Amino acid sequence: MPYAPEHDEIPNPLRPGLRADSAPEPCSVVIFGGSGDLAHRKLVPALYNLAVGAHLPAAFGIVGVSKSAYSHEEFAQEMREAVGRFSRTRPVDPEIWQDFAAGIRYVAGSFDDQETFARLRAQLDELDKVRSTRGNRLYYFATPPSTFPTLLKQLKAAGMINPPLDTRFTRVVIEKPFGRDLASARALNRLVLETCDERQVFRIDHYLGKETVQNLLVFRFANSIFEPIWNRRYVDQVQITAGEELGMEGRGRYYEEAGILRDMIQNHVLQLVCLSALEPPVSFDADSVRDEKIKVLRAIETFDTPEQVARNVVLGQYAPGSVAGADVPGYQQEKEVAKGSRTPTFAAIRLNIRSWRWDGVPFYVRSGKRMPKRATEIAIHFRPVPHPLFGEGTTQPNVLIIRVQPEEGIALRFSAKVPGERFRPRTVSMDFRYGTTFAAASPEAYERLLLDAMRGDQTLFTRKDEVEAAWRIVGNILKVTESSEFPPPHPYPAGTWGPAAADELLAQDRRVWRRL
Amino acid sequence: MEETVSDAYGEPISAGATPHAGELTVQFDKAVDLARIEGLLRQARERGGGSPETVSTLNLVAIFFSAAQYEKAGEALEVAGTLHPCRLIAVIADQGIEQESLTARLSVVRSGGAITMERVVLSATGRAVRHLESAMMGLLRPDLPMVVVWGGRPQGDLLRRVVESADRIVTDSGARPPSYLTETASLLAKGAPIGDLAWARIFPWQALAADTLDVPDLREHRGNIRRARVVCAGAIGAEGLLLLGWMQSRIKRLEVEIRAEGEAEQEKASASTPVPRAARLGLGHVKLLEFVSPPATFTLVREKDVLISQVKGDDDGFCAHRVRLPPEMPGRLLALELKLLSGRDELYAQAVQAAAKLLATRT
Repeated sequence: MPYAPEHDEIPNPLRPGLRADSAPEPCSVVIFGGSGDLAHRKLVPALYNLAVGAHLPAAFGIVGVSKSAYSHEEFAQEMREAVGRFSRTRPVDPEIWQDFAAGIRYVAGSFDDQETFARLRAQLDELDKVRSTRGNRLYYFATPPSTFPTLLKQLKAAGMINPPLDTRFTRVVIEKPFGRDLASARALNRLVLETCDERQVFRIDHYLGKETVQNLLVFRFANSIFEPIWNRRYVDQVQITAGEELGMEGRGRYYEEAGILRDMIQNHVLQLVCLSALEPPVSFDADSVRDEKIKVLRAIETFDTPEQVARNVVLGQYAPGSVAGADVPGYQQEKEVAKGSRTPTFAAIRLNIRSWRWDGVPFYVRSGKRMPKRATEIAIHFRPVPHPLFGEGTTQPNVLIIRVQPEEGIALRFSAKVPGERFRPRTVSMDFRYGTTFAAASPEAYERLLLDAMRGDQTLFTRKDEVEAAWRIVGNILKVTESSEFPPPHPYPAGTWGPAAADELLAQDRRVWRRL
Repeated sequence: MEETVSDAYGEPISAGATPHAGELTVQFDKAVDLARIEGLLRQARERGGGSPETVSTLNLVAIFFSAAQYEKAGEALEVAGTLHPCRLIAVIADQGIEQESLTARLSVVRSGGAITMERVVLSATGRAVRHLESAMMGLLRPDLPMVVVWGGRPQGDLLRRVVESADRIVTDSGARPPSYLTETASLLAKGAPIGDLAWARIFPWQALAADTLDVPDLREHRGNIRRARVVCAGAIGAEGLLLLGWMQSRIKRLEVEIRAEGEAEQEKASASTPVPRAARLGLGHVKLLEFVSPPATFTLVREKDVLISQVKGDDDGFCAHRVRLPPEMPGRLLALELKLLSGRDELYAQAVQAAAKLLATRT
């Protein structure tokens, strides 16, 4: 929502019933880490695409802040090249770019230096004058987490964070990883909330900006036929897979610190668990949805002992192998990765949600690097028919698959009669493909999330308690698996779906992973 | 019953329109054979070796009174139909040609493998037009909403019957003299679920006016808006009347004024820009909206592809907002209207009623 009316304020007489989306208020977006990869590949192309779609206010500016030395013009030129390479709409439209680039500025300097922030402030004031950005600021921390405390302190010291109810908004977007365990996440939350109000904080998880992830809520709560069977009585198990075929791609140093548990499980994968398992929210506002997600996270059984972790968690690390017909090195041969590293690049976990709806239904989640292909999906496996009317083993249980990427869509696997005189069932799949059904190009996740942040809508951003609850689950696993007594991750050849131990995890329950 | 069935790759047919490549056409001499049409549609779906899977969210019925009207609207229908997968039934009733003929042209549009539009173009001339309505009703896909695009004036028996059976009717008041808003108002008063491309055309103006009153420093002016004024390009158009009607229906005792000034923009040559530009400022389109909440005056004005809102009388006057108008593509407005598949847009109904009153006072 563009604004929250105060209780004594006269409501806007022109707002009710409007079908057109409102543009965000005029504002400047400050990208800390402006010369970095995220700004080049995602953020600036996303902002440009918002301009192309006429979703941005024309009174808009971007300020990049980094150590690298650029003039405004050099920075704008580099951003134009980045848009030309990474934008989903290409080629760059010269007229739209000209207007867009007129609001691009750059401030070079160290984040430790107060002078950097004095120059930034002056630059923002200048944009307010020449671009009518009206003092509204969206600060985007596209920087390593270690810089967050410094940035927050400097912004506060420079008087660049307005109170939440000020007429000029200040919002802070924070990239993952938000902390590296529960203690550091809590410390960071404390620091953030000493500087800002929770209403000003936008912790981004770009998975939540994906259309299919949002469609999961529509699918569950706009269709009456699925919700009655969305529970332990009808669902046998849920499998969530988030795999990618890529290896380190120059991110070895970051990955050594993070590993799969911090990089994927704590955020993206647990968000998918939440959206699959949450109860219907009372309304579709930010806090109602997030209240239901937090209930799921709190209901997930934590693993408090090494035995529990060993029984429910399998970690892996890729060894040399072949992906898509090309030989690829193992994790330990990647740049900036230590020989003998114990960092997991794969995790398979059996989660139990202790709730009325889900108790006893295992949620098997797995995520890994160097898988045979990029595939993220949620598969709801329903119970088999109670009586095999057409012969033992002739029918397979129904599976509902929500594909997050690639080929976003939904598929339902069910039995149909093979044409002929006998009753011979065969499993068939009914496929709904997002891209086919709705020919309109879906916006990139970052487009949606940046627009929401500019509008002040926090529905698709994670809240303080959500982050901490997710760390409680993953932190307990990390405590055990990062101790030297825990065995190192199981090696698996690159180009496979993880180590054999991941299959054994399901075999214990007489189940198998879905073949992807 | 039918005279000919052909793969009419470029072969002219009797309704005067040129068939598209890959269309199947069938001519009937007395009545329409619906089973034959469904059979040929099946054949069209199976052609090309692709999957015959079909995705549909609505029946989109478009009614025209000449082949030329249909040809003009064809691209917009196709684009909107691709964004909202549908069975498109285009009905062309041309009574201007005496010779009796009845033709169906059938084709499918694929997107990413699946069929997202089944297109049936029914053309009739002379007395054969009497068969079109029942043929159209027989070709509707069951259980899907029916949205009618009405290319004619908002009056007549056919429209009355359509109003009774359709979930929604989309018209374009901007394509007719604004006096027809009175007819639309009377249909709306009877509960007709009418949508209007002219209404979709003013969405950016409405959003900008509302956004301006959401600017924190300007919220104090919300309760005191007294007067509003609209300037249209070249002539007073339905868009301007709807904009004023909307404001009048939202704000009590609002004094309003509308006038025409200057000229409409000439048709643009199709510029080859990577991103399409906003629609031109057509005859009767809005070029300025001003409303006064003393001491502040809010002026929203179109400058090329950008809408700008400025405020005077509050501090020293400043620019509250600038928004780029959406890039214009064929079918964009229709696709916007198709987001609402049934029922009435109450805000629109109120705006039309207010606009009709305004028209009455002017005459």
